[in-house]
Order: sequence, then structure tokens, then C-alpha cells
Amino acid sequence: MYEFEYHQPKTLEEAAKLFADADDPQFMAGGQTIIPVMKQHLAMPSDIIDIGRIADLQGISVDGDTLTIGAMTRHGDVAGSDEVRKSIPALSDLASHIGDPAVRNRGTLGGSIANNDPAADYPAALVALGATVYTTSREISAEDFFTAMFETALEDGEMVVKVTFPVPEKAAYEKFPNPASRYATTGVFVARTGDGVRVAVTGAGACVFRQSDFEKALDTDFSPPALDGISVSADGLNSDLHASAEYRANLITVLAKRAVKHAG
Amino acid sequence: MPVISLSVNGIPVTAEVEPRLLLSSLLRDHLGLTGTHVGCDTSQCGACVVHVDGKPVKSCAMLAAQADGTQITTIEGLAQKGKLHPMQEAFRDNHALQCGFCTPGMVMMSVALATEQPDLDEAAVCKGLEGNLCRCTGYQNIIKAVMAGAKAMRG
Amino acid sequence: MEKYGIGQPVRRKEDVRFLTGTGTYIDDIKPDNVAHALVLRSTHAHAKILGIDGTEAENMPGILGIVTGKDWIAEDFQPMPTKSAVNKKIDGTPLNQPPRHALAIDRVRYVGEPVALIVAETVSQAQDAAEAVEVDYEELEAVTDQVKALEPGAPQIWDDIEGNFCLDFELGDKEETEKAFKGADHVIKLDLRNQCVTATPIETRGAIASYDKDTGKYFLQNATQNVHANRDTFAGVLKIPSEDLHHVAPDVGGGFGAKNSGYPEPSLLLYASKKIDRPIKWISDRNESFAADTHGRDQATTVELALDKDGMFLGLRTKTIGNIGAYCWTVGPFTPTGGSARTQGGPYYFPAMHYTGIAAFTNTMPLDPYRGAGRPEGSFQIERIVELAARELGIDPVELRRKNLMPADSLPRKTPMGLDVDTGNFPEVFERTLKMSDRAGFAKRVADSAAKGLKRGFAIAPYLECTGGGPKEFAGVKFARDGSAALRVGSMSTGMGQETSMPQILSDRLGIDFDKITYVQGDTDATPIGGGHGGSRNMEVGGSAVLQCANEVLVKAKQIAAHLLNSNADDMELSEGVFTDVKTDQSVSMVDVVAASFEQSRLPDGMEEGALDTDTIYEREIISCPNGCHSAEVEVDPETGSVNVEHMWVVDDFGTIINPMLADGQVMGGIAQGLGQALMEEIIYDEDSGQLVTGSLMDYALPRADSMPKMEMAFFEDAPTAKNPLGVKGSGEAGCCGAPPAIVNAVLDALKDDGVLHIEMPLTSEKVWRAIAEAKAG
Repeated sequence: MYEFEYHQPKTLEEAAKLFADADDPQFMAGGQTIIPVMKQHLAMPSDIIDIGRIADLQGISVDGDTLTIGAMTRHGDVAGSDEVRKSIPALSDLASHIGDPAVRNRGTLGGSIANNDPAADYPAALVALGATVYTTSREISAEDFFTAMFETALEDGEMVVKVTFPVPEKAAYEKFPNPASRYATTGVFVARTGDGVRVAVTGAGACVFRQSDFEKALDTDFSPPALDGISVSADGLNSDLHASAEYRANLITVLAKRAVKHAG
Repeated sequence: MPVISLSVNGIPVTAEVEPRLLLSSLLRDHLGLTGTHVGCDTSQCGACVVHVDGKPVKSCAMLAAQADGTQITTIEGLAQKGKLHPMQEAFRDNHALQCGFCTPGMVMMSVALATEQPDLDEAAVCKGLEGNLCRCTGYQNIIKAVMAGAKAMRG
Repeated sequence: MEKYGIGQPVRRKEDVRFLTGTGTYIDDIKPDNVAHALVLRSTHAHAKILGIDGTEAENMPGILGIVTGKDWIAEDFQPMPTKSAVNKKIDGTPLNQPPRHALAIDRVRYVGEPVALIVAETVSQAQDAAEAVEVDYEELEAVTDQVKALEPGAPQIWDDIEGNFCLDFELGDKEETEKAFKGADHVIKLDLRNQCVTATPIETRGAIASYDKDTGKYFLQNATQNVHANRDTFAGVLKIPSEDLHHVAPDVGGGFGAKNSGYPEPSLLLYASKKIDRPIKWISDRNESFAADTHGRDQATTVELALDKDGMFLGLRTKTIGNIGAYCWTVGPFTPTGGSARTQGGPYYFPAMHYTGIAAFTNTMPLDPYRGAGRPEGSFQIERIVELAARELGIDPVELRRKNLMPADSLPRKTPMGLDVDTGNFPEVFERTLKMSDRAGFAKRVADSAAKGLKRGFAIAPYLECTGGGPKEFAGVKFARDGSAALRVGSMSTGMGQETSMPQILSDRLGIDFDKITYVQGDTDATPIGGGHGGSRNMEVGGSAVLQCANEVLVKAKQIAAHLLNSNADDMELSEGVFTDVKTDQSVSMVDVVAASFEQSRLPDGMEEGALDTDTIYEREIISCPNGCHSAEVEVDPETGSVNVEHMWVVDDFGTIINPMLADGQVMGGIAQGLGQALMEEIIYDEDSGQLVTGSLMDYALPRADSMPKMEMAFFEDAPTAKNPLGVKGSGEAGCCGAPPAIVNAVLDALKDDGVLHIEMPLTSEKVWRAIAEAKAG
């Protein structure tokens, strides 16, 4: 690792000031991505601002039809939370499949979505559930939040504070893990709400995206056979060592059907 | 440089640490607790798992500075008064280790799994060990050991 | 109560320190005043080095020195010659061997090749400096595939070696085999690959070197499997007598062949430690290990099987092109030639066989033995061609195998490959495996799988392999007055448990308390010779040395006992630690005998104090032939192509079993590595750039707990070999021989209705999915 300054602010204000005052600062949440990246000399921030202990960023609560999760809530806490399990079991299930138990005890929701790894799990949930990301300066719909590979709508110095999820009627997440890294080779989150069905795909493209033809078909008939005959184009999908675009296109269909079945 | 205070295997430790010092390096190089091993650079192998406030964590993916105020347990802190922890005993009884390099992380993760889910089944063990690689044993004896160790921990 | 004799599942001595975090691996050793080294490695697959500028780096904080190829050559250090047992081409001329120096001199030939050594006060300082060293490369075209490397017009890796050709080799009777093929009713042919993989022990490599200027001796602590041979290699590089290098292996965190080699780093560290007069430590990181640990397998093979109209095997013809990487590594050229030839044909009766192997240079990390080194490749080749023959000829694959196994009464037999198969009962082992496999319940399991939309398949794969490694081994025992014994052995455990199983043999033979036996290995000062670990030789050669040593002690102990009892040595019988005179019933304990051996007054004439201390060297004459049978049941998800290995059943004939718990562990570990090769592991280089694509555990998949099937094992112990006094056959590599063909053939069985005949390893989900789609498309 290159040298850097380390800060552990207790408040959002303090964090923002540290960020503004530093040359090339980097927020750190659970550190499960940035630490390995720095270890491999792939990043050299001047300052690491550890926001993992800011009290305002913690906590899980349910208010009516809305589940709210603080940005620094760890994956393990989401997976183990009764509130989450009762309100959106698919989200709890998703969290329980991120990384491994040790990673889940450090990694956070906010860190994951701010990094926007194209193979991360959470972006699929946020987009499919129509979640809202609250930052230190505004609220952003999940769809607008994830902009491109490793890119989000966050401005310099802007932090994710919390995410709110409308509780869906039905939802499920199906993931096909990469056999080496256990990131999603492809993951599909399907959610049905009063406003209709949303299908969000992660791992297959440069950034999470919605599969609108699936959504239309499932709006009419929320059952796996509804997706028969819809062919997913491989154009624009990722092709890499682990899976070709054609294979990912196939996984999108297979996983979407399984998610619909799983959602019941 | 940050000054941190923490408890390691029940012993209070205060240290001035370089920001880039990893928790694994603090334990191994500064405190001489070399039982915690480092087997990869990308958080896959799990040889470095220790407990931070009772929860299993990959110590190679955590800064020492982040451990300020925490209670850490390493493999060296498991056996009490010279008596092996039931999970250590179970690993030995079931030949769940060969070269021993992954073993500290494997045992620490297993103790955490058994603590969190005392009645865990084989599938839960496999899922729980998702982030711990072993290249020697083929895992079957590890799974047996975790089941036996969990049973012994239940008493 | 635990029993400690031969055949007992004794719990391991070493476990207590490993379980409490008190083992001592190389990175746990921290000498005073130690400096740290980093190896700067080539970022190109093939390039000329026009210059290296380390001026800026040398002036950075904490930098103690930088060594480049130019410095190395100026010191006139020597290259490391290969020790391949096959070292001549078919035409009798020597193999083409380029000089292998510890640092690239003026050209790099693979990504990861050492270009410079940077020594600093801390690892971080060395890392920072590494980025300031400017290496001026002129890129050259690269070739990373051995078949393409041999084609005309391929990039030439060595100026003075034409066509990237190292050597060719043949074994068997070519004419007889051709005759068999001419007279055959059926000829089945298959092109297949054993892909490139790497051992990936969880402990990466590392070493600490120091130099004592007062004594003029070097000290090297090294995560290696083989201290003696590598001592000689490093001493040869540095042009010093071997005695001046004390080489020790601490606890080693797995090897599987990849820690057997004479690597470049130790010589660099030894040289630099003398130069700066400080100990220097180097620990490989994981990503580095993918580029710079030896790779294994990587063979492209055409295998042909000739059968008569009844399905009896008439002949086998195998042609392999093996990648050995950019250099002849320690024994690299042996694997695709002699190493793969010997067990061709497996446990089947072949009247005629012929094997041709070619070793080719490419721009990849060199290859060296990986668990099995040629035998798993051969086992995969024969089992795949037999399965394909069964499919193409419409014969039940179980039946086809059954009728072609070497009958029990055909042994001892020398195969057409010259392998001396002395004992065993292949049909019995095969039938036992089949019986364990619950064939009766298979149809129901197929139906259950089908109800879930899954396809289930089964395959059985008998294997025959052989041991290898150095034939000589040392064992020595030194007693103390209290009856304790210090055992020293030149063979070496990197996790297999010899610290337990070797004392078991001594305890069994001499009645010494197991807990009073200490064990030393991996130290060139402790044993005059040592073959280290490799070729499943530990128990076969090391264990036999311990037994021979124990027997020699026993002869002397009986004389002492007889002297103490005023009787004859011939009348002494040792049982449970007590010598009894069979005639008088008088007795004396072994503990007493040991105590007496330290008192001149209690010793017979001609014996001196310490008379029981014994050093011995055992020499193996003929390699032994472990054999066995694996079967596998798998489930395939046709929608995703993912494979789940559900169950494996294994019967192994390892001859005498010293510790069944440890032998089981060897089998299961081997299965896991075989499963890895079958389903997920592959070292991939980019075809055009020669860059290593699978350079971390994010991209190179290893089996995890949930990858593994339920494994049921049994031993066939009715056929111990007479080739060594223990009757053991070696167990370390068997799992790697049986698992890949059993798993791959089971997948193909599951897909037989889809018309899928072959899929190259690893059977990743995408490859399986594609194979189904392509078969459907016709």
C-alpha cells in the first residue's frame, strides 16, 4: 500500500470537512474493496476517511411500507435483521450471498453501492425495488444513482446516508456466482409492487440495468412461462474470462424465471 | 500516526500504527501473533480470519487503525489454560487439517459459525466456509469437524 | 486408548501446534536485522531488455540494493540445469536446454520472469522502489500454446533452438502397435487436453537467506519440499561447495509439487545477503505466485484405441505435445515424456502400446511436477478414450472396462510400457467400487433429478499409477537415556503427516513410547542425504528407511537385552516394549535396554555408549504401483450448465496402510485437486499478448467446501507389494488420477441423450451449456 493519512470522523460534517481539505481523499466504508485495491497498488488516495463509525449512517428501520437501511449497515446485519427478513426477505437473502461471512461482517450497503462494481449484488435490488438513495445533499432514485461501470451520480464529497426501499408484494434475487470471486457472474432481482414488475440485472452489463421486455411480460402474467419466447440479446453484455455475452444472456432468462418462481 | 487501543486475546494493547498497517500485520509483525496467516491478496483464502468483537473478519482486509477500541481474538487466544477449544479438538480428532496453513482461519470461522448457529447442518457449514480455502483436505473432514466441534460447544 | 502401531489411525503430533497458531512457517520467522526483498518481474511475455535504470530507485528511502541480470552475469553465476531423467531426443542427441539463470539477462520470455531483486528495509519501501525501476523493453511476438509453438513461422523463443523444440521421446513397440491397429475391427480416436493448472498451496513460497562471514557459510530457510537437491542447485549457481549451504525447511504450508523446484529466488537472496551482510527475507504474494510458481499438466494429446469385434483392447497409441514453458525447469521436460508414458493404458490389458511425447517451449511460466506429474494426464487419456469407445460402439462402459482389466492372475506383469506391476487385483477393486456405488438406486436418483429438471450421470474410472522421486533415503535415530528417541528422515512432509506416521513405524517396531519420539525433517545438516517429497515417495522410500533403521536398532537392542539377561540374542522377542527370553521367560524393557546402552558396564563387548544410535540409507530398486478405482455421480443443470458432483466412491490399493486416517486424507485432498482440474481450474494466458489472465484468486477458481461431493473411501489391503519392506505403494497422487476422468465421464454420461461426446476440461458451466446447445444444433 502507498502511504496515506487516516481519519475517523464521528459526524458527517466532520467527514465532509476532512474531504474538502484533502488533496485526493477517498471515503472508506467497510473497506472490503478499497483495502484490497490499495494493497495491490491500484489506488493511491492521499487521505482515507473512514466513515464506518458515523452514528447517523447506522441502523435498520421499518415505517409502514418503507424499509430504511443506514449506509454503513453491514451486509451481515442486513442478512440477519428480523425487520428486513419480515419486510423484504429477498433483500435479506441477497445480503446473505454477498462475499462470505467475514466479508459480510465488514462490507456495507453504502460502500457497495457507492463503488458500483458491475458484478455487485445490491445495485440489482435497489433498481428492482425502486429504492431511493439519500445522500448528504439530496435524494436520488436508484435508477439515476447507478450511472456507469464504477460510476454513480455521487458528486465529489457527497456521501450516501441511507437507502429506503418500498416494501414489494413479492420479490426474489437469483445469483449465479463467479466460481473464483463469488461476485455475480449474473444476478437478477425481480420485484412486483403495486406499480408493476421490475426486473433488474447485475453482473451482465457495464452497470445494472432493467430488463423491460421481461417486466412487460411479467406485468401481465407473473409466472416463469411468461418469459418463454422472449430472447435476450447478447449485444452489449459483458464478455470475459468467466462468461461470454451469449452465456450471460442465457443466464438472465434462466435466473429471471427462477426468481419469479422463488418469489411465488 | 494514529494511536490505537484494543484488546487482543484479553490483553490490552496500545500502539502507534502507520495508517497503512493491516490488522493482520499488527498481529503478526508487531504483536508476534503469527498464528494468523496471510494466504492471498484479494480476500478469498480466509487464512487470516480473526474475531473482531466476536465476529469473524478477514484481518488482511482491515486496517489496524480500524480496530481501535475493539476486542480481538486470534487463534492463539482460543485454547484456555493449555486445553484445546472444543473446535480445535474436533479438528484434530477428525484429521481436518494437513499442512495447517489455512487452519487458524478455518478454525476461527468455524467457532464463529457454531456460536451463531449452534444447531448448524452440513449445508450451513459449507456456506459458512465459503470464504475459507483449503488445498489439502478436500474439506470433508473439515465439515465433519465443524459439526462435531459445534456439538461439543453446545455441551 | 489410542494405539500407535502400524495400521492405527493415530491422531497427529503436529496438529497441536498447527491448531494453536504456534507452527513456524517461513513468514513467521523474523531474524534480527532482517531486510526484505521484492522480485521485480517481467510484465511482458517476450521482450528484449534494452536497459534497466535503477538510479532513482536506489536512492529511495530504505533501499539497500538492486541486483539485475547484468550484475548476475558479471559475478559469473551459473545457470540451473534441468534434472529431467529423460534428457535425450529419440535420435540420441541431448535435449535442447537453454541456460536458466536466476535473473533474465537480456531478454524476458514469460510474464513474471525475474528481472531484478530489490532489497530494502521494509516490504513497502521495496514496493515503492519497484515502481521507480525503469526497464526498457522492446516487445517481441509471443506464443503461449505448445501446439502453435511447434508450427512453422511461430515466434522463436530461443535464437539457437529451432522451432521451440526441446525434445521428443517414445516408449513401447511402434511396429507391434501399428500391426494391432491394422488388424483392429474398431479404432477410436480423440483429441483432448489436460489443461494448464497450478498447485496453489495456501502458503505461498518464501525464503530467508543469510551469510555468516566468520564461518563463510550460508543459511537458507525456505518453504520447499526438497532441501538437499535444491541446496545442490543453489550451491551450483553460486559456485560454492554444497557443505557451505545449510538449507532448512520450516513448517511448509502445502506443496503438491510446486515447492519441489529449484527456483531462482533463493540464489538471489543468498547472494544479496552476503553482499549487504544482513539476512534477507522474501515472501511471494498470491498474485505473484500465479505468475511465478511452476505450472502443471498442459498437454495436448491424440489418443487412439484399437479394439476387436468383441470390444477387447488390441492396442493404444498416444501422441502428446507438452508445454514446458520458456525454460527447462527442474525436471519439466520429464513430465510430458517419461512421466506420462509409464502408466499409459491404465489397469487394462494391452498387447501393444506406443507413446510419443514432445516437450515444447512457449512464452509461459515453466512447468514442473504437479501432484501426479504425467500419471493423472495418462489416466485421463485412457479413461476418456475407453468411455468414448463404449459410447461409439454402443457397449456399456462398465462392461467394456470390466472385460479389459488386467486379470488378477496376469500379475506380475510388465506392461508394454515397461511398468513392473507386481501385485494387485484390479477386477476385485473395480467390483468393490461398483458395489459401493449403489447402482441399484441409480435409476431412482436419475428420476429424482429429472423431476428437478436436472440430469444425472455416473462413471467409473479405475486407475493405475506409479511412484517416483529419488530412490534413496536416509533415516537415523538417536536415543536419550530416558528412552526417548530423536528420529531424522530425509523425506519430507508438507502437510501429509510424516511427523506422526514415521514415529508410528518406529514405535511399532521398537516398542518405544510414541510420545517420546521426536521428529526432524527438511534439514541438510540433520541428514546426510534426503530426497524430500515428490512422487508419493515419502512412505515408500522414507518409511522404508525408518523401518530399516528400526530393524537395525532391533538387532543391537536384542544383543543388549540378551547381555542383560545372560541369554542369547536369538531368543529375544520384543512385544509391547518388553524383550522376553522365549526360553527362560525372563524379561527386560526396551526403556531399560536404552538406558543400558548409555552405560559401558551394561553393554556387551564390542558395543560402546550410544550403541543403539543408528543411521541408515534405504534404496528402492523398483517403483511401486498404487492403483484403485473411483466412481462419481454428478448432477448437471442443463439450463446453466453447472455441474454438481454429488457422490464419489473410491477403493484404493496402496498396499500396507500405515495410518488409515492420513491415507484417507491424501485421497480426499487429491480428489479435491482432481475435481478442481475437472471443473474449474485453468491457467490462461492471453493468446496475443501472452499476458497471464488468471493472475489472482479472483480469476483462478479453487474448489470450496460446497464444491465437494460426499466421498466414501475404502482400502484394498490384500496385495502389499514386495518391492519395499513396508509393502506400501504410495498414496499421495492417486486422487488426482481417478477424480478427473470419473467426474468428466459422469458429466458426459448425464448428457448422453443430448449427444454430447466430449468437453474439454475444465468443464465450466458455460462449456457444458454450450456443448448441450451445440449438440442440439447438430
